[in-house]
Amino acid sequence: MTEPLVTFRNVKKHFGEFVAVREMDLDIHAGEFLAIMGSSGCGKTTTLRMLAGLEAPTSGEIRIGGDLMNEVKPHERETPLVWQSLALFPFLSARENVEFGLKMRGVGKEERKRRALEWLDRMEIGEFAERNITTLSGGQKQRVALARSLVMEPKMLLLDEPLSALDANLVIRMQAVLTRLQKELGITFVYVTHSQSEAFAMADRVVIMSQGEIAQVGSPKDIYRAPANRFVAEFVGRNNILSGTVASLDGETVTISTPSGAFVATAPDTARSVGADATFVVSADLVSVSREEPTGENRVLCTLISEEFVGSMVTLFLESADGHEFKVQMQERDLIELDLHNDDQIWLSWAVQNAHVLDHE
Amino acid sequence: MNQNRTLNIILAMYVLCIFVFIFAPILFSMVFSFNSQRFPTIPLGEFSTEWYAKIFADPDVWLAARNSLIVSVSTSVVATFLGFCTAYSDFRYNFRFKGPYLALILLPPTIPLIIMALAMLAWLSKLGLSGQLWSIILAHSVLTAPFAMAIIRLRLNQMDPDLEAAAWNLGSSEWQAMRHVIIPFCAPAIVSALCLTAAVSFDEFAISWFVSGLNKTVPVVILEIVQGNIDPQVNAIGTFVFLTSMTLVILAQVFFISRQVKSHS
Amino acid sequence: MKRKFDLYAMTWRLPIIFWQLLFFVGPLLFMVAISFFVVKNYRMTEAFEMVNWQKMLSRGYFWDSYWYTIFIAGISTTVAMLLAFPASFALAFRASDNLRRWAIFLLIIPFFTSYLVRTFSWYVILAESGVVNAMLGQIGLGPFKMLNTHFGTVIGYLTLTLPLVVILQTVTMANVDKTLIEAARNLGCKPLATIWRVVLPLSKTGLIVAALFCFILSFGDFVAPFYLGGSQEPTLPILILDTTKSGQQWPRAAVVAIMMMATLFTIAFAAIALAYRKGGAR
Repeated sequence: MTEPLVTFRNVKKHFGEFVAVREMDLDIHAGEFLAIMGSSGCGKTTTLRMLAGLEAPTSGEIRIGGDLMNEVKPHERETPLVWQSLALFPFLSARENVEFGLKMRGVGKEERKRRALEWLDRMEIGEFAERNITTLSGGQKQRVALARSLVMEPKMLLLDEPLSALDANLVIRMQAVLTRLQKELGITFVYVTHSQSEAFAMADRVVIMSQGEIAQVGSPKDIYRAPANRFVAEFVGRNNILSGTVASLDGETVTISTPSGAFVATAPDTARSVGADATFVVSADLVSVSREEPTGENRVLCTLISEEFVGSMVTLFLESADGHEFKVQMQERDLIELDLHNDDQIWLSWAVQNAHVLDHE
Repeated sequence: MNQNRTLNIILAMYVLCIFVFIFAPILFSMVFSFNSQRFPTIPLGEFSTEWYAKIFADPDVWLAARNSLIVSVSTSVVATFLGFCTAYSDFRYNFRFKGPYLALILLPPTIPLIIMALAMLAWLSKLGLSGQLWSIILAHSVLTAPFAMAIIRLRLNQMDPDLEAAAWNLGSSEWQAMRHVIIPFCAPAIVSALCLTAAVSFDEFAISWFVSGLNKTVPVVILEIVQGNIDPQVNAIGTFVFLTSMTLVILAQVFFISRQVKSHS
Repeated sequence: MKRKFDLYAMTWRLPIIFWQLLFFVGPLLFMVAISFFVVKNYRMTEAFEMVNWQKMLSRGYFWDSYWYTIFIAGISTTVAMLLAFPASFALAFRASDNLRRWAIFLLIIPFFTSYLVRTFSWYVILAESGVVNAMLGQIGLGPFKMLNTHFGTVIGYLTLTLPLVVILQTVTMANVDKTLIEAARNLGCKPLATIWRVVLPLSKTGLIVAALFCFILSFGDFVAPFYLGGSQEPTLPILILDTTKSGQQWPRAAVVAIMMMATLFTIAFAAIALAYRKGGAR
């Protein structure tokens, strides 16, 4: 294992009374695409700004490439940032914007221009090089902002919700541009977002933050399938969360009795005892629906309450006999085959390996 | 509906009357400046450039014009510099006693000019600084800096707050960011501030009259002529003063307001 | 946290402090000081005597002048506010945004042009054989004596204050939430009652600020009462002018100036308290 590019050790950041980052320990590795995700006010942007030197940590250590960075001023770092507002200079042309960083670093006029144009071409906006920034479209500005940061040839690029101002189909295109760029350049991307779809679509690893602390770090798949705690489980989309007490233990699996019935779930290797409280989670798209009572350990009879359509996906909202809400996600064509109506009684079931017991809260 | 329309017409006429009242003295002064009568009335006398010939031949007027030019240009530079510093400090920093700090620069225009004039005269005499052209410049810079501050502050309000940090992020020191980002961004407002402070300084007579000693500016010359008797020369000088001020004000608006409209659309 | 001297921050923060202390606070404090100085043989000498205060405040003509200045500035403020209101109302509610912007642009111009020349122009226009009387003469009226009267003084004040009052009133009323007015009309409130019960309360702060500025400007102006009012009843600014320019009685002028400042502060505080008081009985 190589030395991480960035390390956060016991980093805290307070703004007066307000605690933006409570306690942060994090390694960022060279060449990875890391997304930091959370709702507003969770400390994700503060974390990024500390990395860029725009905020100094109240305590703790931030190292980049092994060097302590706490007191290093923003302009003495190589941590270009793509801003949520883009922060392009409105009085400069696209090319002059891209040249800005090089000019500050004392790169000569000719070379500056050559490198700026090269990057504008690479971002497919070479034809707009001499245009005033204010006359460009949202997507074009986005590309200028990327070129302006990347022309510095940094080891690491910071991105603060760069796609939040774009409309939906442009977001998808820019996601492709960003992932391709990151793979081609092989540099580290640290990408802050509140959007789960952006984070999960692009990142190698995702950091989920809540109230100034890291709730979970892992690959998108890990987080999706096995959320570590209730916060992550609730934050990451359509999960069914059931709480109860441990009825019996059997190696890797636990039987948990809940008001809706007894269910078997896989448990991480933390110690548990019979009678203890436990919560497990099943992703909504891993629940099956059938008219006949299925075999297998995990099944529950529910009443259909309502349906919600998004594209070709449908989410069913159901209720068990004790009133617990269940969610099931499926393809619309599968639903048509079932021919369901509201108030119908149907069976839900899921495999043991898809039910994960959460860590204690 | 019909009643509403009549009311609208009456209101429009009324607004027009208010504007006539406000602009009548300006227009009459210009008309009278080309009128042959010593004491203008209706019907008007013949067209004449007599009064212009008179003021052009008067070396005192030329001297006053030169003084006014020096005073208003110097004042505008000093006031705009002070206004810029304060506007930027207010924009960028939060610090203790910021309220009193801002009051310090914003209060002078609310003090009656005659009081400022008396206080300035007494204080500058005490310091041995009175009776000079730059006595007027010192006083006028205090008086006009708030206008510069207000204009530049409004411009900074329109700036993306990340812009300065973006410059640091791209390797600018604070000083470089000032030179390459803040000043270029504020440039139109700086030009407006220069024009407006120059216009205010160019028209100010109370303080100039008190502290200038023998170095009269144009408004002081007007004041002294007016004190004597009805002299249509005042109209001719006045027309020049108006044209100068209005040019400055319109320039200021072109630089500032047009940008503002653009940035809103 | 260590507190280092931040050269960059101080470069922008300190100049104005230095400058205003030296050339704004300094002069005003010194003016307070000289009100205690004495003048002997046309020379002012530093002292700490109450003689100027006693002399000025015991004189009938000072108090006549004091109350007259408050009276005439008050009249002028009332007139300006009333004259401006219908015009501001029209500009705020009946004019398009574009027209309103143009109107405000035009109204800013006089603010930066020579008040002195405009006053002189009024002097010629209002004279007994001037333009106004000549026109009235055509229809068999007049001539009226308009110069050297209260009327002349008020016209002069209005020249100074009316554009500002119209601007402030217009901006204030244009910012009133129009849906509230529609709601009032919708609930059966008559037009005049809507102005009285909805528009005025909602724009109270701005209107009071407008009146305050109008009063301050009129109260401190010496040109209008001097040239158009004929200074038969001298206002306080004229008193300052006379005592300073003739006789070198700076200390007594300072007493007048301090009295003026005190009066203005009192009125300003009262006005601001009134403006920001929580909604009244209604």
